[in-house]
Amino acid sequence: MILPAVLYVVALVGFPFVLSIYLAMSDAKIASNTYGFVGLDNVRGALESPTFRKSLGNTFIFTLVSQVLVLMLGKILATCLTKRFWGKSIFRFLILLPWVAPISLGTIGWKWMLDSLYSPVNWVLQATHLVGKNTWPMWFGEKDLAMAAVIAVHVWRLLPFATVIILAGLTSIPKEVDEAAEVDGAGFWSREFHIVLPLLRPILTVAGLFGIIFAFTDMTVIYVLTRGGPAQATQVLSSLAFFTGILGGDLAGGAAISLFLFPVLVVVAIVMLMVARRTEVA
Amino acid sequence: MGESRFTRRTFLKAAGVAAAAVATPTIFVPTARAKSDTLKIGQWTHFVPAFDEWFDKKYCPEWGQKNGVKVVVDHISVNDLRARAAAEVSAKKGHDLFGFLDPPPAYENVVVPMNDVVSECEKKYGKLVNLAQRATFNPKTKKYFAVSDNWVPDPLHYRKDVWGEIGMKPDTWEHIREGSKKIKDKNGMPAGFGISQELDTNMMVRALLWSYGAQEQDESSTKVMINSKATVEAIKLMTAIYKESETAEVFTWDPSSNNRFFVSGKGHIIQNAISAIRTLEKQNPELAKKAGLALPAAGPGGKRMASEHLLHCYVVWQFGENPEMAKKFIVDLIGSYNDAFLASEFYNFPSFSKAVTDLKGKLAADKVNPEEYAILGDFEKYSAYPGYPGYTTAAIDECFNTFVLPDMFARVAKGEMSAEDSAKQADADMKRIFAKWNK
Repeated sequence: MILPAVLYVVALVGFPFVLSIYLAMSDAKIASNTYGFVGLDNVRGALESPTFRKSLGNTFIFTLVSQVLVLMLGKILATCLTKRFWGKSIFRFLILLPWVAPISLGTIGWKWMLDSLYSPVNWVLQATHLVGKNTWPMWFGEKDLAMAAVIAVHVWRLLPFATVIILAGLTSIPKEVDEAAEVDGAGFWSREFHIVLPLLRPILTVAGLFGIIFAFTDMTVIYVLTRGGPAQATQVLSSLAFFTGILGGDLAGGAAISLFLFPVLVVVAIVMLMVARRTEVA
Repeated sequence: MGESRFTRRTFLKAAGVAAAAVATPTIFVPTARAKSDTLKIGQWTHFVPAFDEWFDKKYCPEWGQKNGVKVVVDHISVNDLRARAAAEVSAKKGHDLFGFLDPPPAYENVVVPMNDVVSECEKKYGKLVNLAQRATFNPKTKKYFAVSDNWVPDPLHYRKDVWGEIGMKPDTWEHIREGSKKIKDKNGMPAGFGISQELDTNMMVRALLWSYGAQEQDESSTKVMINSKATVEAIKLMTAIYKESETAEVFTWDPSSNNRFFVSGKGHIIQNAISAIRTLEKQNPELAKKAGLALPAAGPGGKRMASEHLLHCYVVWQFGENPEMAKKFIVDLIGSYNDAFLASEFYNFPSFSKAVTDLKGKLAADKVNPEEYAILGDFEKYSAYPGYPGYTTAAIDECFNTFVLPDMFARVAKGEMSAEDSAKQADADMKRIFAKWNK
């Protein structure tokens, strides 16, 4: 019965993974006919590169900051959605929209929203006298602003996913528990920190771990918005692997860079399995 | 219900066998290369829409009818060309003809050598211009890995009215620095030289480096030469232009950004192909009258150089279905370059020297701005290619497409490094890339 699942994993996960290890240890180029074994030369080459080291740091910043924001905002939105209010179905639809829209399309929309010349965001800021005509923020041109912009767009993209997961967790908490605490005189924050969040911990962990995987491996947002600029300030491992392997033609170098994602993803996968197992036991 | 019932297990087994039966021929049977009655072309979406109009709706259908094939043209956006080519090579399936915007030496192993096409075209349409020859020929294997049908000049675009007000012309890089500062101080208009990870910046920074006497590699294409005094001086000049006369938007640009910047009237100078001024002529004719084209700016020693803005070149994949027809298409297209040149509104300059007759006469007969376009007539002698003065090799290709040189300028403009250290880092990056490709 598990044969199809095994075949699926071998064909779509195992084979590409083994192939990437093989490529990373070879001298494969984009149009190579033969591959020579070079051991860990490509890994060494990556480690020597300042651009790689910068990208590694950026990857962690991008992932961790975006996940903290996604979980916090997701919890707030999910809490709102448990309440009754007028237009709730439209609100829920709008929240889900970024998740169902193609990621590249949404990101191109943001590229225009934050454009240096025609940004509606900057136009509104200027119209409200928050910035002057010649002092528009260059969202993708300043290092910190560029990182903030790519994180914000990534949060916008992942928020619906986290919200839906957390909402499912919230609706599974028996109402009696919350009501009993309220009768006992517990306020909103007290109930949040002593009842809701502890009960939500497994589901928050799952949302967070999925989010880490999505953020750690994503390159679309960065490729479309900044292409890693300015001066590599937003370059992450996945986009650097793409530039090196596909655009630069050094397949082996690109594969070696992408393999650095693996240890982190393994840890995340192990934690996910442990959480799933603990939830099952509970 | 006995043993004969159709269980879930039976269904899964049957589905597995069926899937294997369907997939096996595609996995294990070598692909038979059948001659197709369709010629598939993949190339960029031209910045001058009139060229695509002519190419798609006139030239290709007429050529197809004459040669008994259906010509299908797929347009691919500038930023996606390389990724698409890589995907086609990986799948060993794709277009019969694939057009690159910069030379692709890394693909030499999977393309059909074009020596015969080049020599036929040279016989019919004159010598392949030097910049196209050095960018598409591998001197080690003696093979042309691509055929260039056109290259694109990269003149300065500037606002004559604004520069006139300060009594200057952008003739040298030092003039550009001085004039841009005066203009920014006077009326707040910024200059528009990109320092971003994109094609236009790649070309502009090379123009600046060459004009200062710097170069990426030596003439034999084996030795990295970027870490030099001339490079450091060029970086310092660009940093000064950025700090005195630009805004951080130059770090955000893609290949169309400087066009939009100039056409919007916000900026007073860019270095770009003529699509910028052509767009201005259509969208804002009054402003277009105030815009001018200029020769590449000269460096401190008077050396005046520009990069080709684009070098369009076709490859024929070895796994293509119609290689002979594809080659014939290229030869015939180059033979039609009088029409192509006019359809592109002078954007596509012919890579074969006599493919366009009376080129200077045609430029001088422009209906909108003849005196401006006239300067393009001699542009070839100022124009070079990635890897100049060597050849465009696979190592240079990787340096180009991973934006080593734009990053070298950006680090200093951003204040992260000194010009000297940034040149040293670019040198180390390039040496690492050269070592990989020269093994």
